Amino acid sequence: MDNLSELLHGFTIAVTVPHLALMVVGVLLGILVGVLPGLGAPNGVSLLLPLTFGMQPVSAIILLSSMYWGALFGGSVTSILFNIPGEPSSVATTFDGYPMARDGRPTTALATAFGSAAFGALIGVILITFLASWVAQVALAFGPAEYFAVYFLAFASFVGMGGAAPIKTVVALAIGFAIAAIGIDTVSGSVRLTMGVDELVKGVNFVVAVMGLFGIGELLVAVEEEFHARAVSSKIDWREVFRAVGRLPRHSVALLRSAAIGCWMGITPGGPTAASFMSYGIARRFSRRGRYFGTGEVEGIISPETADHAAGTSALLPMLSLGIPGSATAAVMMGGLMIWGLNPGPMLFVDQKDFVWGLIASMYVGNIVAVALVLLTVPVFAALMRIPFVIIAPLIVIICVVGAYSVSNSYLDVVTMLGFGIVGYLFKKLFYPLAPLVLAIVIGDKAEDAFRQSMLMSKGSLGIFFANKLVTCLIVGGVALLLLPLVLQLARLLHKPAPPTNETTAQEKVII
Amino acid sequence: MISRRALELATAVLTGSFGIAVVVQSLDNGIGWSSAGVESGTFPFLTGVIIVLGSLYNLVRGVMPVASLANVPIAITPIELRRIASLFVPATAFVAAIPLIGMYLASAGYVFAVLAIPKHQSVPRALAMALATAIGLYVVFERMFQVSLPHGALAAAFGL
Repeated sequence: MDNLSELLHGFTIAVTVPHLALMVVGVLLGILVGVLPGLGAPNGVSLLLPLTFGMQPVSAIILLSSMYWGALFGGSVTSILFNIPGEPSSVATTFDGYPMARDGRPTTALATAFGSAAFGALIGVILITFLASWVAQVALAFGPAEYFAVYFLAFASFVGMGGAAPIKTVVALAIGFAIAAIGIDTVSGSVRLTMGVDELVKGVNFVVAVMGLFGIGELLVAVEEEFHARAVSSKIDWREVFRAVGRLPRHSVALLRSAAIGCWMGITPGGPTAASFMSYGIARRFSRRGRYFGTGEVEGIISPETADHAAGTSALLPMLSLGIPGSATAAVMMGGLMIWGLNPGPMLFVDQKDFVWGLIASMYVGNIVAVALVLLTVPVFAALMRIPFVIIAPLIVIICVVGAYSVSNSYLDVVTMLGFGIVGYLFKKLFYPLAPLVLAIVIGDKAEDAFRQSMLMSKGSLGIFFANKLVTCLIVGGVALLLLPLVLQLARLLHKPAPPTNETTAQEKVII
Repeated sequence: MISRRALELATAVLTGSFGIAVVVQSLDNGIGWSSAGVESGTFPFLTGVIIVLGSLYNLVRGVMPVASLANVPIAITPIELRRIASLFVPATAFVAAIPLIGMYLASAGYVFAVLAIPKHQSVPRALAMALATAIGLYVVFERMFQVSLPHGALAAAFGL
């Protein structure tokens, strides 16, 4: 019960007036970026990052994580009321959320979504409370070889379970690694991959990449579709809120199943987007009312929402205890941790107890604050959506440009950001996953260092990755995950003579 | 009109050429094993090779007629292309103008241009929004967070 006393101590840090105020600010900003198309949680958090440099790390992470919760909720608001996913991870919520709202039950849809989202988040936080310090304890004994094996497993699970075309995931990952390698090599001090541009010696900052990939890229996709914000009524009927939440326990199987999927996808970095799609797909297959899915089915809202938030929350577990972020936003936060001078990984649980447990306690409180605030502010943010997109789009472009510039006061960063915007658009359009790319940019150097250190220890022999049971298991598991798509394809070929192509992935099929 | 196939090909060529650039550059750093351990070019070299191989695979997949891709033969219609251009071209012009006239003038001009020229807003309203943007940027960054945004060559010429 060590964890519980630590958690109580964490509450004394999280539940103070300044920190509660930060949560409110963070959640409101989060809902704002979640609601606005083109701005999402990864961008929002990267934009706020420079403003946190003067803060205490605990306060800074509370602000950033609250923003993350807010963004997750905000994305669902627009999905349900406007059929426009504010966040990629809330795309699956539009399938049943919008039909239900259009049929005159917007409050039911919103309350169901928020209720199940809060449940998913709660399961995620409970998991972190009890598991994170244990994982960290195990990880304390890790050497460089084990670390590299864990990184390898994380990246392999993107390929095996991320839901996108496997080779496209591999390409995205490798590009991320190559971008991470740009600049001065931390081990030998030599300059790498600058392509003759002297300014690139400082490397490419992940914030610049995030601004372009998620900001400009998403904006281009949004402007192309030129959506019409045909909103359904955004009035909240409070009695219906409680009735809808009261009905949730009837769907406890769906809730628990989706939370389990979410936690799994959050910890093994599959990310919230993949989790919500997977959960929706499984619910449709197993629900008795599966054929009504897509017409405003309650479980069609519960499943993606619970999984989305469970994944978003539990993505912080590997970030805290292993230094491996489970989602793009967690990757940005981890970049923040490194900037604040903290070393994400098991040592946090030894050196920075206040930070870790303050954050975990704030996750409980922050999610409650988020549910309350999002319900209270639905009409306000719904009104925001009525501002024409032509006005919002240039403002978001300016925000991304200024954000990229302010990272290191460099004009080259702005140009690079714009380039990433084109890449982000192409990748989104062709279903290359973006999260692994960002993840590789943030932790590419660490993975490489771990590899090179293990090679130094073993004097160049790859045998070190099979030196003990743990590292062997991790490596074998990683290889298995890498080969999983191939095996599945072969199995399908053997079963059906006419080979169905698996080029269209699960997400793609749903969208088409 | 741009077909899905063309878009797949273009992207694969783009990622592939990046991979080739990475491979070529990392050879300068030396690959393989030296007395100081793994040489600094090794890791980028491997990632470059993976990028090239993966891009080749995607290229071949893009060329081959695939049943499911036939569902979406058209990736970008002319109208969509025009919409994208209407966002991206002004944005590029805005970024290109920053070194010359500075962030404030450039962003004000950008907002004004995209709102007033396609007649989304009346000229006075667009002007007001443009001014508000520049002033907002100045207050938030220069004053509140003490981040100096670029003032541009023009301002420097006037000695500001």
